[in-house]
This record gives sequence, structure tokens and C-alpha cells, in this order.
Amino acid sequence: MSDSENPSDAAGEDVKSEEQSSFEMSPEPPREHPADSSPVPKTRKRPENKSPCANVQGLPETLKSDQDSHKGTSEAVAQGGWGYWGSWGKSLLSTATATVTTVGQGISHVIEKAETSLGIPSPEDLSACVEEEEKTDGEAREGESDRAGADGASAMGSAMGMLTSLSSVVQSTGKTVITGGLDALEFIGKKTMDVIAEGDPGFKKTKGLMIRTTTLSQVLREAKEREEQQTAEKLTSDSEKKAHYGMLFDEFQGLSHLEALEILSRESDAKVKSVLSTITGEPLIQLKEELELIKEPFSLVDFDDDDVDETKEDDAGTEFTKELTDTLSQLRISVTMDKLSQVVKNVHNHMADMKKSDVPALEKEEGREDNVMSKYNAEDVHSAAIRSLAEITARAIEQFHKVAEIVLLCSSKEAAAEEQAKVLAHITVMLCKEISLLSKRFTTCLTTIGSSEKGEVLNPLITGVFLEASNSASYIQDAFQLLMPVMEVSHIQRTSDPTQ
Amino acid sequence: MAYAYLFKYIIIGDTGVGKSCLLLQFTDKRFQPVHDLTIGVEFGARMITIDGKQIKLQIWDTAGQESFRSITRSYYRGAAGALLVYDITRRDTFNHLTTWLEDARQHSNSNMVIMLIGNKSDLESRREVKKEEGEAFAREHGLIFMETSAKTASNVEEAFINTAKEIYEKIQEGVFDINNEANGIKIGPQHAATNSTLPGSQGGPQTGGGCC
Repeated sequence: MSDSENPSDAAGEDVKSEEQSSFEMSPEPPREHPADSSPVPKTRKRPENKSPCANVQGLPETLKSDQDSHKGTSEAVAQGGWGYWGSWGKSLLSTATATVTTVGQGISHVIEKAETSLGIPSPEDLSACVEEEEKTDGEAREGESDRAGADGASAMGSAMGMLTSLSSVVQSTGKTVITGGLDALEFIGKKTMDVIAEGDPGFKKTKGLMIRTTTLSQVLREAKEREEQQTAEKLTSDSEKKAHYGMLFDEFQGLSHLEALEILSRESDAKVKSVLSTITGEPLIQLKEELELIKEPFSLVDFDDDDVDETKEDDAGTEFTKELTDTLSQLRISVTMDKLSQVVKNVHNHMADMKKSDVPALEKEEGREDNVMSKYNAEDVHSAAIRSLAEITARAIEQFHKVAEIVLLCSSKEAAAEEQAKVLAHITVMLCKEISLLSKRFTTCLTTIGSSEKGEVLNPLITGVFLEASNSASYIQDAFQLLMPVMEVSHIQRTSDPTQ
Repeated sequence: MAYAYLFKYIIIGDTGVGKSCLLLQFTDKRFQPVHDLTIGVEFGARMITIDGKQIKLQIWDTAGQESFRSITRSYYRGAAGALLVYDITRRDTFNHLTTWLEDARQHSNSNMVIMLIGNKSDLESRREVKKEEGEAFAREHGLIFMETSAKTASNVEEAFINTAKEIYEKIQEGVFDINNEANGIKIGPQHAATNSTLPGSQGGPQTGGGCC
């Protein structure tokens, strides 16, 4: 988006290199996001307004790079390619403000299609790479950038991250697949455009959420219903076991909390507008300035996958929950994180449990019966991952909903709305990082436990986890955006009522 | 899982009358003597069967505290049914019913089915409000009435289900426009397409789980 795009070229390169490694391990230590200064330095990235296909057609020689020269280094390059693809797909998904995803069904299909037609490395490989990199941290990034340099086109560092990602993907796969790939991309593009155009013609970030005729929860509910319908249709033994993110999300009352939060957001928005329409002159200018300050943190939220450091020792989520609780306390409102913290802890414990059970199975080496021996199979890990993501996301949205309710009560002890907005932005980033971290750990776990599974069994599972993690992050960020009018109203109420 | 209709309910009434306990008893079939104060609104859901049709109840359990009133009012809209609860051992909760009723009528759609509930019927010895008084109030204001006990589960099931029956009848009579979601009713996905319901087998484990 134009408002989130960094104008300078240098910054453009920066963005590019971040995208590059978004689905890989970051060799760098995680960046700090101090809550008091500017907690979220960069804007949330949105893809270009243009159709991806148009961009590709405009590409000259870069497309012509031959397959053979890349075959030798296929794994390495392919890894980079997936990195691009991953972040590109991610930003696409978030652009649609979670709507295009239709909670798992539509897009995952498209992505699978895109995967096969583009010749992108299997998620299995990717995950294996991630694991590998855990060991060979240091040189990873340097090598990465060298390769990028050699690749020429991707080193251009054009501000259009999408263009580079596309060219790189195409480069590494060769000309022959372009047509097939374009079909898939066009399909994704169309679907994304449809959804965006439907209610958000201006591509105005998530702010559009409030203006849209269809609300997020409504879209999610419909998606969930389609899922339900599908399940009802093919009620075979297989589909019963499969984890459905949308249905689980609803089961954990995520939809209800989202719906309630939307109600509060909508009413608050109306209140702000009516207040602004009743005052004039100096007070109006002053209030507008104050509201601008509150809005600021909401347009600054960015979360970079590469900030996530999954090499950290398993800490059963205690560090995360502690930080979360500390951050939340800065709001100075009476809301606890108990439910969310508990869920995060449970997920960490469950994962540790699955990892432990995996060890003896691998050590046994008694033929191909690892899966029978192991307590968990790949399907179990996948289900656990989807379930965990759905539950954490539901609890996160509940948390935001509770914050909204308490903030609207307006107590005098609260921190200033502007401060609160910053804290909430920080919390959003923290949650998204945790989601990302968990999804990476889950896929690593999936790769080890499912090592004897065939690629076509394992790949969709891994893709599914990454996809739903990206959905989760989108929902959380959208829920955060819903808080904006709530903070504004809270500010207006507190400043207009001298008794408080 | 797959349902023919979804009804949105709200539970309203003074703080401490047992709204959350009624919900817990209905969704989880258990009783918690000490319950945290509800902040804003909490949710519960359960599948029931009426006239052979699976109906999903989506229940919004609101905070009873006065301070939350302006927020909880926002949630009234789009509810098909309301459970208005008072505590038979506390006369003041009964006295406040008129205010609650006015509030509910003002902020929700006119066809909303309201069930008046006198809760804590197990505490007969401490009763302050006679059953006849509840019945009279209900008659006067066109409500359905029941005395329940969230503790012993007496009439809890009936309260939720009878409300649903009333809504269902109104749908049959054409009072509710089911295509308007502001009425708090949604047609289920599977109902719209085909009527091959999966009775019991689908609803069974769901209701047992209590969550959904």
C-alpha cells in the first residue's frame, strides 16, 4: 500500500531482505520491541494494488534464466524461492484481511496447486531446512545474500517486494512452468481481488473493516459453515479425523468474541463520528489531533517472521506469558491474561510431549513401523497444531474483546489511551510472533514424526499449519484494528468528563 | 455440528442471580457454587433438537453489574430469545425486572421471545418472591415463566428449550423473518441445501462436549 510503503530505496532493500527469510530461521537475535519507545517500527506490509500477473508480464529477461544452471543449487535456491513465496503468500493473505482464506479450504487448495505447478520445494524440504539451519546458524544469512546477489534480478532490491519474489520463484523453476504457475497465481490474485474489492475498494488496510458491509465474523462464520457442509457431505472416516480450523475456532468461541468486539467497535466508531460532528473550532482541531495520536500505533503494526527465533530453548511458554502479563499490566486496567496464558502453556507442554514420544520411535530402527511404535503420527501432530492455533487465536481475540469492554468502562486509573494503543500494538506483535514460533515448531515436529510418510501425505499437512498460522496472525491483527475506535471513545469519555 | 437453525440468546438480570450458572448447567451439565463476576459478556453454545431439527443455541451471557449496562445493551440487538433472570431469594432482583424488561424491549427486536426465570428454586427456605408473583409478572408482560435451579439442574434444560420452541413456532407462523439476521436467527448450512439431517450421531458428542 502506498501509505505503508517505504519511499527510499535503501528501505526497500531492507524490506526485501526481510521477506526473503521470513519462513526461515533467523540467524540474528530477535529484535527488541520496547514498549515505551516506538514498539512497532515498521508498517504492516501489504502487497501492491496491481494484479500479480501484470507484473510478471512486464518482466523482461529475468524470466529467461534457464533451469539447468539452477538445478545444481536447486535446494539452496529453492529454499530462497520458498521464502519469497511464503512471505508473498502471507502478505496476500493478510491483505484480504483474513477473508480470502475462507478458513482453510479454498486457498490451501490453491496453494497446493500453486506448489505443484510452480515447482516450489515441498514444505517438507522447507521444514527440514529450517531444522538444518538451527544447527548451522551463522553463515546462513551471508550465504543467502550472496546467492541473492548472484541471482541478479532479486538483488535489484526493488521496493516492489512482490516483483522480486515472483521473478526469483520463476527463475529458479524455469520457463516451462511459467504458464502453469501464472494460472495458479492468477487464480489466487483473482480470488484475493474479489474479496478485497468486495468490501474494501480502497485497499485501505484493515481500517476498511469498519466500513465494510460484511463483517469479519460474518465472513468467518460463512466460511465455517461451508466447512461444516463439506464435512457433512463427505462424512467418511478420513474427514472426521481431520482438523478444521474454522470449526475449532468457533468451538473455542473465537467467532462470538470477534462478533461482540465488532459490535463494540462499530458503536464506538459511530460515537466518535457523532462527537466530531457536534463540536467545532478550536476544540474540534484539538480533539482531532489527540485522536490522531491514538490512531498512530494502529497503523504501525508490523510483524516480521524473521524476528522469530525458534532456536530458543523450550521454555514451556513461561517467558512469553510473563512478558505478555507484564505488557498487559501497562494498560493499567483490571484484565488478566490467565486464560490465554494457560492455553499457550498447554500448547507448549503438548508439543514437548509429542517431541519426547518421538525419540524412541526414531531410535528403534525396527523396519518401517516407526509410526505404529510412536504414540503420535503426523496426522496427530497436524491436528494438534491446527487445534492449538485455533485455540490461541480465539483466546487472543477474547483478550482483545475483554480489553475493549474494560476500557469502555473508563476508570480514572487507566493509562492514557495513546499509551494503551501502543501497548496493545506491542501485544499484537508479541502474539503474532508466538503464533509464528509455534507453527515453525509444529512443522519441525511434523517433519520428524512424519519422516516415514510420503511427501504427498506430509506436504499438505505442513502447508496447512503454515497457512492457518498466517490466518491466525491476520485475525489477531484485525481484532487489534477493531480496538481503535474503542480507544478513541475511551479518550473522548475520559477527557470530556472532568469528574473522572 | 450441522444445524437447521441457529438462535442467538441473551441472558440478562441483576448481578448474582445465577445467569452464568444457568448457562454452565445448560452447556456443561455442572454447577459451580463460586463463579467469577462476568466481564461484559461470555458465551456458550449447545445443540438441541426440536421437531426433529437440530438447532444450535448461541448464548450471550451478559454481566449483571450496573457499570456494564451500557456495554451489555449493545449486545441485545440481534437476539432471538432472552432469558430474564431474577433470584427468588432476593426481592430486589425481582423489583428490578421492569427496568430490565424496558431495556431489553428498547434495544432488541420486537419479536424477541422473553423467558422470565426465577432462579435458585432449591433455596425454598430463603424464598422471598412467591412463584405466583413471578407468574403474574410474566402474564402481565407477555413472557413465558419458569422457576429453575442451576444447582440441581431443575427446569434448566426446559427453560432454554421451551424458549427455543417458542421461537421455532414463531418461525413456523411466519412472525420471524428468518432471512433477516437482525432477528437472531440463522438458517444452517445443511438445512438450506438438503434436509438429510444426521440426527443424534452429530449432535450427541457435541452436546456432551458442552463447548459447542
